[in-house]
Amino acid sequence: MRNTARRAVQVVCVLTTASLLAACGAGKERPSEDGSAVGVTDTTIKIGAHFPLTGPAAPGYSEIPSGHEAFYEYVNDAGGVHGRDIEMVVKDDAYNPTNTSAVTNDMILQDEIFAMVSGLGTPTHRAVVQRLNDDGIPDLFVSSGSLQWGDDPGKSPMTFGWQTDYEIEGKIIGQYVKENMPDAKVGLFLQDDDFGEDGEKGTREFLDSQIVDVQKYTPGGSTDFSPQMSSFKSKGVDLVIGFNTPSYTALSQIAAQGVGFKSKWFYSNVGSDPALVGGLLASMTKGKIPAEQGVKLMDGMMTTEYLSGVDAPDDEWVKLWQKVWDNYSKKGSEKLTNYRIYGMAQAYTLVQALQANGKDLTRESIVKTIEEEGSSFEGPGLAPFRFSADSHLGISGMSVVEIKNGASEPLTPVLVTDIGDAPIEEDDSAASDAPPSSGIPE
Amino acid sequence: MQQFLDTTLGGLVLGAVYAAFALALCLIWRSTRIVNFAQAAMAMVTTYIALSLLNADVPYWLAFLAALAAGFGLGAVIERVIIRPVEGKAELNAVILTLGLFMVLHGLTAITFGVQHRGFPAPVSTNAISVGDTSIGITPFGILTIVVVALVMAGLVVLFRFTDLGLRMRAAAFNGEVSRLLGVRVGRMLTLGWALAAAVGAVAGMLIAGGDLVNPAFMDPFVIYGFIAAVLGGLDSPLGSVIGGLILGLSLSYVTGYVGEHLAPLVALGILMVVLLVRPSGLFSAAAARRV
Repeated sequence: MRNTARRAVQVVCVLTTASLLAACGAGKERPSEDGSAVGVTDTTIKIGAHFPLTGPAAPGYSEIPSGHEAFYEYVNDAGGVHGRDIEMVVKDDAYNPTNTSAVTNDMILQDEIFAMVSGLGTPTHRAVVQRLNDDGIPDLFVSSGSLQWGDDPGKSPMTFGWQTDYEIEGKIIGQYVKENMPDAKVGLFLQDDDFGEDGEKGTREFLDSQIVDVQKYTPGGSTDFSPQMSSFKSKGVDLVIGFNTPSYTALSQIAAQGVGFKSKWFYSNVGSDPALVGGLLASMTKGKIPAEQGVKLMDGMMTTEYLSGVDAPDDEWVKLWQKVWDNYSKKGSEKLTNYRIYGMAQAYTLVQALQANGKDLTRESIVKTIEEEGSSFEGPGLAPFRFSADSHLGISGMSVVEIKNGASEPLTPVLVTDIGDAPIEEDDSAASDAPPSSGIPE
Repeated sequence: MQQFLDTTLGGLVLGAVYAAFALALCLIWRSTRIVNFAQAAMAMVTTYIALSLLNADVPYWLAFLAALAAGFGLGAVIERVIIRPVEGKAELNAVILTLGLFMVLHGLTAITFGVQHRGFPAPVSTNAISVGDTSIGITPFGILTIVVVALVMAGLVVLFRFTDLGLRMRAAAFNGEVSRLLGVRVGRMLTLGWALAAAVGAVAGMLIAGGDLVNPAFMDPFVIYGFIAAVLGGLDSPLGSVIGGLILGLSLSYVTGYVGEHLAPLVALGILMVVLLVRPSGLFSAAAARRV
């Protein structure tokens, strides 16, 4: 009994000293000469990610991790990366930032991940980006086009974006509309967070004088958008540009029909997947339109594209994704979707970075590798990455497309630019990159 | 002007839906003096049952009736099995129990039906009605919603005001012991109250889901908004619930259309606060609460 008591006192003393030291900064963990390699063994690399597997953002997005997992299995079966298998931990945050913090905590402390890879969502990932950077954990290829992942590497040195950011998407959309529809009265339909804000910023660089109305929605709030659509209608809007997620594309279409608002629609890449939105629209209008024609409701909508998707089965990359999915999907009955392709393409970039890094892998070295070599990675993206020591922003461009019969038809070549007043230029060079014959980056 | 008209009509439809939900709350309150926070979850369950039937190509109105019946049964079972043991104890016990029930139903539905969003069809068009060349901001489904809610309200008023059964239900809720002495089967009345309320909730669920997306959380905003509507009108009064729902629907619609969607929840809570401060028993309560 006494012994226990004494031991307890000792423990308390040690803990107090430790926390005091930590508070003074003396106990702060100093990376060794070689850097930190938590989560890496001789045979494995453990990565983690948060995704909305449930809730309003789950349709579509919840499929992304299955793409990652299939591609890692494919790579692991071929011997892994420098002899290491990639293990992925996926946790559900239901697109709720509070949950994101909790599951990230779990992944850092319990699962001891080496890096966060492709955590999804602007409001959600924002809640953990500081934590990951403070702890020196690589935060690679965030599944969101917000600027904050990459425009200031001094502030978030461990964080990297991946997809084309919303500001340059806004610029590219803005320029296209200005050149091709100079008389359009534009209404913006925005998710009320950085997603909508960044998109609006880019769009206004070209369309400031054409925008006549701005309407917003809160994810997870009301799903009745009649008031917003009535406002568009009364202001004479004839082109809506939407920076919203896929469910809200379907809901805005239904609401527009409900108030008799007719318009052209231009949805950002994020909210435009024809298969998903078409399916949702078809099920909501059951009895009026046969399910297989739901996709047709998307006809004539414009959007952007920075990856080839399922509607281009002859594309070399899509062939690779199809092969991987056919052999390594967990549930063989489910189809390859654009979201799974997105996941596999991100996984491809990660494997590419790990390969380029070489056998000696630390949290510091992977960041350095991506900064130094990332801009020369050849991959499925239609435009090159912008990775450097000064920018952690991802893919640098996209093309404008129109949806017809569930497939996208290009309206422009690939347009490449950067944030701010960087000019928009045509550049198809990265679009012709082909995958290596093994399907695994070298 | 066009926008004002569209926004007003949209607000009326939205309000009718809140009203339907508030009616269900009012019904349980009238018959058992409990605020049922599981109402939304119960309605969500019955809506999913209807969706399963619809996906199996059962005609819409048959599925609608099935949802009503399922609601009726679910309400009765929940009252008998779960609420009965705490009846007569502190009111808070039952309220906390309904909160727990809310979570359980949520979880069970997610396990059974999955968490993904699914489209829910409407029986009539959800496209705006056109008059000549201009379309006005109301859909046939919106009109149907208003009509159904008006019928339900009228039915409840008739039940409670003009029938013997309604009188017995009110008596059982108001003072169980005295009613029992007078020969009212109090237990049965309470069960019936819950069953009816859950059936009304099922109607609300069907009206909310029509032409929209459903997932296990789709009714959650109505826990708050339906409650506000019910309190606004006075928990005791079916007419009050409906008017409370309409006031709330219109306010939220105007705020969303003219100011910004982000302010809507704030306005709803503002309305709740004002009502509770100025007239805590609601706009349409018949009499002030009796204090002993």
